[in-house]
Amino acid sequence: MDPQDLLDLLDDQQARRLRVIENLLRGRKTVSTLYWGQRYDLLYLLSLDKHLARGGLDTVAQTLVSQKMATWLPAEQPQLRLTALGRKQRDQAVTFRPKTQALWPQITLGLARQRLLLSVQVVSQYAHQTARYYPLTTDLATRQAVRQWFHQVKSPELATQVFTALTASLTRLPPMTAQVVTAGFSGYQQPGLTVQQLAQDLQRTPWEVYLRHVDGVVQIAQDARQTDHPLHALLAPAWQTAVTRSAQATLRAVATTDLTLDQVAVQRHIKPSTVREHLLEAAIMLPVTAVPYDRLLPPATRQALLAVLPAQLDDWEYTALPVALQQRFDFFTFRLLAILCDKEGDHHAGTPDD
Amino acid sequence: MPEPLTTSLQAVFGYSQFRAGQEAALTALEAGQDTLAVLPTGAGKTLIYQLYGYRHAGCVLIVSPLLALMTDQVNRMHLAGFRRVAAITSLTSFGERQMILAHLAQYQFLFLSPEMLAQPAMLARLRQLPLSLLVIDEAHCIVQWGPDFRPEYLLLGAIRERLGSPLTLMLTATADQATKGEIAKQLRTTPTEVTASLDRPNIFLDVEPVANDAAKRERLLTLVTQLVFPGVIYFSSKQLATDTAQWLRDQTGLPVAAYHAGLSSEDRFKIQQQFMQGDLAIICATSAFGMGIDKNDVRYVIHYHLPADLGSYAQEMGRAGRDGQPSLAVLLYAPGDERLPLTLNQANRPDDATIQRFYAHPQAFSVDDPGIALLTFYQQHGISATAVQALFERRERERGRALAQMLAYVREPQCLRARWLTTFDEVAPAHTATCCAPGKVALDLDALGLKRQPVSAPTPVAPSWQAQLRRLLIADAPR
Repeated sequence: MDPQDLLDLLDDQQARRLRVIENLLRGRKTVSTLYWGQRYDLLYLLSLDKHLARGGLDTVAQTLVSQKMATWLPAEQPQLRLTALGRKQRDQAVTFRPKTQALWPQITLGLARQRLLLSVQVVSQYAHQTARYYPLTTDLATRQAVRQWFHQVKSPELATQVFTALTASLTRLPPMTAQVVTAGFSGYQQPGLTVQQLAQDLQRTPWEVYLRHVDGVVQIAQDARQTDHPLHALLAPAWQTAVTRSAQATLRAVATTDLTLDQVAVQRHIKPSTVREHLLEAAIMLPVTAVPYDRLLPPATRQALLAVLPAQLDDWEYTALPVALQQRFDFFTFRLLAILCDKEGDHHAGTPDD
Repeated sequence: MPEPLTTSLQAVFGYSQFRAGQEAALTALEAGQDTLAVLPTGAGKTLIYQLYGYRHAGCVLIVSPLLALMTDQVNRMHLAGFRRVAAITSLTSFGERQMILAHLAQYQFLFLSPEMLAQPAMLARLRQLPLSLLVIDEAHCIVQWGPDFRPEYLLLGAIRERLGSPLTLMLTATADQATKGEIAKQLRTTPTEVTASLDRPNIFLDVEPVANDAAKRERLLTLVTQLVFPGVIYFSSKQLATDTAQWLRDQTGLPVAAYHAGLSSEDRFKIQQQFMQGDLAIICATSAFGMGIDKNDVRYVIHYHLPADLGSYAQEMGRAGRDGQPSLAVLLYAPGDERLPLTLNQANRPDDATIQRFYAHPQAFSVDDPGIALLTFYQQHGISATAVQALFERRERERGRALAQMLAYVREPQCLRARWLTTFDEVAPAHTATCCAPGKVALDLDALGLKRQPVSAPTPVAPSWQAQLRRLLIADAPR
């Protein structure tokens, strides 16, 4: 990631923890990372760079600080905040916003990417009647899935169908994104360009090129949810709900029974703290309607907490609550309320009857 | 009686003639003799076991130390028309490994890394297989101390016996008498030796001393600007390969890319294929580049850093001119360049104090350190601290000797080819004007016919993405 890429992930109003950004990229789905990812509106970064090392953004961050674009707040965890200069720089740059980013947490990107790239290569070589070629290096599961798919859909019309479907998907995206995706494909007489090479050609950062590539893959996978799409059987399995299966089961138990959270823990053979983590994860990743907030946060609870909490969500601190309230309400309740307020766009709390 | 070898060659590969050494090696194997084939890079060593596997029932088991490139090897086998091929290395996922193990008996060719082969459970499974041939690829690794070194190679002799001493083919591109003797000793066999001349008469050898790093960079730029395409430049660091690729691209406007083991497999694939297809003029590479690249028309290989030994050098520069056309191998040398291989050599080796402390308290050390991993391996195999020390000392002496030979090549005043070939116990042809240019002799690209003629290439117009997608997927699209 280049300094200007990180600049785009920072804000002048909100100090942002570098470790949260790093952990999102690395796909560390702790409740804390997810919560702050949501607060920063950066959940789309989840698992985009699984190979990023711990501290892997520190150098880039330091560059921004030395350029006076950001300040480094040496808190327990380093926090970065844009300076006026950084804000100006960020706003002046034409930043790329992935069109499909809201969907990113719901897709297994690696699976979708590998299957798409290999299937395009296979169809391309098939269309040009090449029997012998180097296949892209993928894992066995991908090879088997693509092989099976290919044998099922193989027909003289397949290449045209895939061409039409991909064209339709890519037309929905900016031309440069369509160019990135197409030039990155490997196939007949086209080895495909690497992200680095495309960045060079297009005068963009490798990170932006990568985001464009992901945007294209997700758009194609989204369109392939239609059952008559030629890549449907291959790409539909890449979609998942944004929360783990175990968290889904916990949510179901809470939403459909009258059991207390501790009883749910006993029933599901998990720790009471895990039940709460599951619910917070679900609250962050799913729409408001998916979580029984009325039951988990009765009006009296909301009123009691909102009466004393600051107006700005980012200023909320559990340990700053009066001791009496801390004894009445656990951290789970406090955090769940914060998630709800965030989702409802209610940054000015203190209205007891909301 | 099986069909003649040439009939098989024609049937499988469509060739009518073997290359030097291939037929002799196959003949020895057909006669049931363990065979050590020392054949230069590009001689087609793989074909020997491919053809043997085609002619005989059972499984050909290939032990190879080149972990990251084994998948490429499997792909190349597929490309050559062999379907029942698999590789198991530490990089193979658990699921894939289980899948392969479940169908083990169905494979005709099985690639294994030495550490996989050394696992008792794996060995037990392999003992149940009818092995037609055991192949030890890069057999010089048995004695070589370097990045490719796998201590498990030292177990190969015992493993081979446990497999029932199957017919064995040892392959290497580089081995002097001492190495050949050590390979045979370690594998507990007396093999038939098949050698072909290492010489590559169509490659002009050139050593160029430069004053310092800056001068080296300048000289590289001049060469790259003047030489015909395509070329490969070898570096000993990934970072320098990457940075120089960028710099050369900026300076010359030529399509240049870096290739090293740090790239993702997808990027490695793309760069390799671009190079094969002629989209790239130059590759800036580390030693990871080479296998899987059957490109015949590489016109030059430049070494920016000093290789650790002449064997590796010959292997890398031998990627030039496989088509037999005039080609060039340049070695750029700045005073002190030998420090890098020397440091790398020592950095890999735990010192005596560490060895002593490790043997006293092994649990106090982290096996993440490659040196400690090596010590752990030796200790687990009952090798004493003193023996390990002696082993390291011997290896270091060997490496020192190899580096001295490399330096002797750099400093050779008369004939580079003679210096190289005699090091490997080969008689060199008489020196001629088209042979080489040692340090004090200037390189004349015109005379070699390797100077690039200036052409004003039209700037390629990038096709629209729609046109590109159409060409990719629709057979009759305009190209």
